[in-house]
Amino acid sequence: MAVQEYFLPQSLEQALDLLAEHAPALLVMAGGTIAMPLINEGISMPEKVMGLRRAGLDTVRRENSTLVVGATTTLTQLAHQTDIPMLQEAVRHIGGWQIRNMGTVGGNLFAPPPAGDLAVALLALDATVVLASKQRGQRALPLTEFFTGFMATALAPDELVTALHIPLPRGKMSYIKYGRRHANTPAIVTVAAHVVVEAGKVVDAHLALNAVGPHPIRARRAEQVLRGAPLNAATIAEAAREAAAECEPFTDAIATDWYRRRMTEVFVRRALERIMG
Amino acid sequence: MASRIVTFNLNGRDVEVMVKPLTTLQTVLREHLRLTATKSGCRQGGCGSCTVLVNGEPVLSCLLPVEDVAGQTVVTLEGITPVEGLHPIQQAFFDNYAIQCGYCSPGMIMVIKALLDRNPNPTRQEVMDAIAGNVCRCTGYESILRAAEDAARRLQTV
Repeated sequence: MAVQEYFLPQSLEQALDLLAEHAPALLVMAGGTIAMPLINEGISMPEKVMGLRRAGLDTVRRENSTLVVGATTTLTQLAHQTDIPMLQEAVRHIGGWQIRNMGTVGGNLFAPPPAGDLAVALLALDATVVLASKQRGQRALPLTEFFTGFMATALAPDELVTALHIPLPRGKMSYIKYGRRHANTPAIVTVAAHVVVEAGKVVDAHLALNAVGPHPIRARRAEQVLRGAPLNAATIAEAAREAAAECEPFTDAIATDWYRRRMTEVFVRRALERIMG
Repeated sequence: MASRIVTFNLNGRDVEVMVKPLTTLQTVLREHLRLTATKSGCRQGGCGSCTVLVNGEPVLSCLLPVEDVAGQTVVTLEGITPVEGLHPIQQAFFDNYAIQCGYCSPGMIMVIKALLDRNPNPTRQEVMDAIAGNVCRCTGYESILRAAEDAARRLQTV
């Protein structure tokens, strides 16, 4: 059955009203780069669809030491309107130019692995996601708690992602997406690292991985290895081994789980070596 | 559900179309308006052959509900082709053997148009980055890169 209704709300308030009225039968999309292919192919056959392109959620602003990025900010806008190198690097490696002009920051949180190469950078930057519903108002959730499983999130049926709060990074960053080609390609593994080093020792480490788990994940055990240790070759080698051991890679048309695990060790090491300098 | 009327500017003229919910810009261009330069390839966002410019930005018309472009400016390959002869980018494609089957060409040309509008003298790497979302299965890309560089030179001397 063809789509019966397409809503294009002109404000967040209108969007939340529509969601309260029609959820859970309402498919929500922003840039359309995830939902529309499935609809075109007949894999997804929603009766009602809501597009967020006109809902006014595409602004980027700075509040003290936090970057507030509207959920429907496109990847292109994000790269132009922010100066965090990890975000620009992440955007550069997603899709082609057209996809970056359409795909959004909030939408990338719903991209199933191996997609989600912005979300993994947001995890490494310790971002918080802001959710809103008509009945319960706003709540903020650390991105680590937002992801709950493969294509599963903590988002309630009557909630929308409205913004990401990104604390301005204090440490050194490194982002490597390893794919079979240089551009417009799914990841074999993506590594995003944000490490704060003081007096030769790691005082804080955020290490996030994508395409080696049901959603973008933090490599907690590898982070434990790093914290408090000097950032040298031995520490890095041990952290890389831990990351490879704790990730949960899968097999798809791009790579096997075995290969993804091997490459996780290699690319975590390389990402940390870049930070070590 | 009832159809809706959507108005937008297409290739310099205002057009009005009546569409069913979630009809894509691609479908409107090809099937309602019979402007078939914009191709229908994968309809997955993976091939770039349906690329058009919306407010000057290259986007994929197969993933774009036409209602989202209401009131906005859309340019397709038809919009840059002169009544007689070819646009300098088209001529550069022709002269550099950058077209074989031709299916990717409209999308490639629109992306290169958007690139040259922003950056009249791009490096080869910048051209490669620009067309990374456009797939060609005939030419092997080298001739397309040459055509883009040739087009940049032609446009600067126009």
